[in-house]
Amino acid sequence: MKNILDLRFVIGLFFLLVGLFLLITSFVVIPSGDKTEVVNRWSGIVYMIFGGIMLVLWRFGGDEAVREDEL
Amino acid sequence: MHLEFVDYLIIGLYFVFVLGIGVFIKKKVKTSSDFLMSGRSIPMWITSLAFISANLGAQEVLGMAASGAKYGIMTSHFYWLGAIPAMVFLGIFMMPFYYGSKARSVPEYLAKRFDEKTRGFNAFTFAIMTIFSSGISLYALALLFQIILGWKFEFSIFLASGIVLIYTFLGGLTSAVYNEVLQFFLIVLGIAPLVYIGLHQVGGWNGVVERLPDAMTHTWKYMGSAADNPMGVDVWQMAMGLGFVLSFGYWCTDFLVVQRAMVTRNMRSARNTPIVAAFPKMLMPFIVIVPGLIAITLVNMHGSGYVIPAQNGVTNYNLVLPSLLNRFYPSGILGVGMTALFASFMSGMAGNVTAFNTVLTYDIYQSYFQPNKSDKHYLNVGRLATVFGILASIGTAYLAKGFNNIMDFLQLVFGFVNAPLFATFFLGMFWKRSTGHGAFFGLVGGTAAAALTYNITMAEGKGGGIANLHTFSSTMAQSFMVAIVAFTTCFVLTILISLFTKPHPKEKLVGLVYSLTPRPKAEKAVWYKRPVVLGIIVLALTAVLNLIFL
Repeated sequence: MKNILDLRFVIGLFFLLVGLFLLITSFVVIPSGDKTEVVNRWSGIVYMIFGGIMLVLWRFGGDEAVREDEL
Repeated sequence: MHLEFVDYLIIGLYFVFVLGIGVFIKKKVKTSSDFLMSGRSIPMWITSLAFISANLGAQEVLGMAASGAKYGIMTSHFYWLGAIPAMVFLGIFMMPFYYGSKARSVPEYLAKRFDEKTRGFNAFTFAIMTIFSSGISLYALALLFQIILGWKFEFSIFLASGIVLIYTFLGGLTSAVYNEVLQFFLIVLGIAPLVYIGLHQVGGWNGVVERLPDAMTHTWKYMGSAADNPMGVDVWQMAMGLGFVLSFGYWCTDFLVVQRAMVTRNMRSARNTPIVAAFPKMLMPFIVIVPGLIAITLVNMHGSGYVIPAQNGVTNYNLVLPSLLNRFYPSGILGVGMTALFASFMSGMAGNVTAFNTVLTYDIYQSYFQPNKSDKHYLNVGRLATVFGILASIGTAYLAKGFNNIMDFLQLVFGFVNAPLFATFFLGMFWKRSTGHGAFFGLVGGTAAAALTYNITMAEGKGGGIANLHTFSSTMAQSFMVAIVAFTTCFVLTILISLFTKPHPKEKLVGLVYSLTPRPKAEKAVWYKRPVVLGIIVLALTAVLNLIFL
C-alpha cells in the first residue's frame, strides 16, 4: 500500500472529487446571464485530468518519504 | 452573491481535506524539530510551492487584482522586477549561509553572525509583525465574506481561525506546508478559468489593449517620468525602491518565506527551493493581476453593465476579484472560486503563525527565558505558541475592526522595520568586517530614518507628521523612497560603526560569511539541478516577459 500521506495522493484525490462534482453540476444546474454550464463542464474535466495525473504520479512515481538520493 | 448546495459541498470538502492533513501528520510529530522545522525532511518540490504559497495570502490575491485595475500591467514589476531576481539571489548567494549555518531561524542566523541584541531586535519585531499580519488577514477575510456573502463577522473569524488552529496545532509546520501546496493549486486552478472567460468576454488581450490607456498595458514604456504612468513612480524609484530594497528585503530576509527553504532535506534542495519557485511565480501575474485589467476593461466596455463595487460612495478595488467571480462563475465553479479565496486567507494566516511559533519558541523563549529544558518541553511550548498566535491574531482582527486606520498604520510600520533589514544581512554575509554593534545600530538607525522620511514628506494626504519638505505624486512613490532612505542609512551606519568596533575572529565566521566559506559542491550535479543554471534560465525567461509587455 502506497503512503496516503503523500501529498500527490491528497491533491489528486481532492481535485478528482471536485472535478466530479463540477461535471455532475454541469448537467444539473442551468445558469443565467453571462454564466454558462460549459464552465463547470470544462473546469470539471480539467480538474479530473489534473487529479488523475497526480494520482498516477503518486502510484507509479518514487516514494517521496524515502527518497534520500540528494543527501 | 448567493451560494448553492454544491458550492457549500466544495467548501466543506476542502475543510475536510485541510483538517485531515493535520490529523494524519500529527502521528509523525514527536519532537520540537518535527513540529517547528518539519524535521528538515520535506521534498524540494513541496518546499518550492510552499515558498510562493506562504506569500499567496489574501493581500496578494485580492491586492494584486486591485492594483491591476488601478495601475495596469505595471503591477507585474512586483514579480518580474522584484520577486524573481530576489528569489534567485536568495537561492544562489544567501541560502548557503542560512542552511549551512544550521540556524533554525533567520534571527538565529543573526545571533551566530552578529550578536544576541541583533537577534533579539529582529525576533521581537518579526514576532509582532507576524501576529499583526495574521490578524489583518483574518479581519480582511471576515470583512470580505460579510460584504459578499452576508456571513457574520464573528462566524468567519472563528471558522477560519479555528480550522487553521486545528491543523497547525496538530501537524505543526509540516501540516501548514502541505496545506499551502494544496492551497496553491486551488488558488491557481480556481482563478484560471476566470481569466480565460474574462479575456474571452473582452476580446482577448487585444481587446484589453484597445480599450485601456496605453500606459495601463505596458510595463516599461511610460517609466521615464513619474507623471506619465498611473503608479506615479519613475524608473529609478521603481528599480531601486521596489526592485532592490523592498523585494530583496522581503524575499531574502523574511523568515515567513525563508523558513520554507530551510526545512528541506539538504543544501542543494534548500538553494533550489526559491529558484524553482520562481518558475511558477513569474506566471502569477496572469492569475492575480490580469483579472484587474479585465475588470477595468469591462468598465470601459460599452454595454457591459459591469461596475467595480463601491463602499460608502468610494470604489473598492479590493472587491474586483469577488465581483468578477460573481459575474462569470455559475454555482459549482463559484464554490471553487470562493474556496480559493478562503484558502488564500488561511494560507497567509497559517504561514504567519508557523513562523511566529518557531521564533517565539527558539529565539525568544529558549534564548532568553528557559535555555536548558528538554525537547518535549519545547515541543509543548511550540504548541502553546501556536494557540497564543491564533488568539493574538483574533485580538488583532477585532482591533482592526475598531480602528480602521490601524491597517494603514501597521503596513507603514512594517515598511520601516523591513526596509533596512536587507542591508544588515547583505553586509553580514558579504563583508566579514561588519560587527554586531554596527548591525544593531544600523538597523535601529535605518528604521528611525524611515520614520523620519515618512514624516517630512507627503503623498495623497498621507505623511508629513513633522513637516512637508516634498510631495510625492503617489503613496507608492513615497513608500519606495522611504525604503531607499532606510536601506542607505542602515548600510552606511553599519559600515561606519563596524569600522570603529572590534570585529569577530575569522574562525567564528566560517559558514556565515561568503569570503570565509568553502563554495557549495552543487556544481557537480546534472545541469537541471544546479542553482546557478536554473537561476540563469529563470532570469532569462523573466527578461522575455518584460520584453513582451515592454
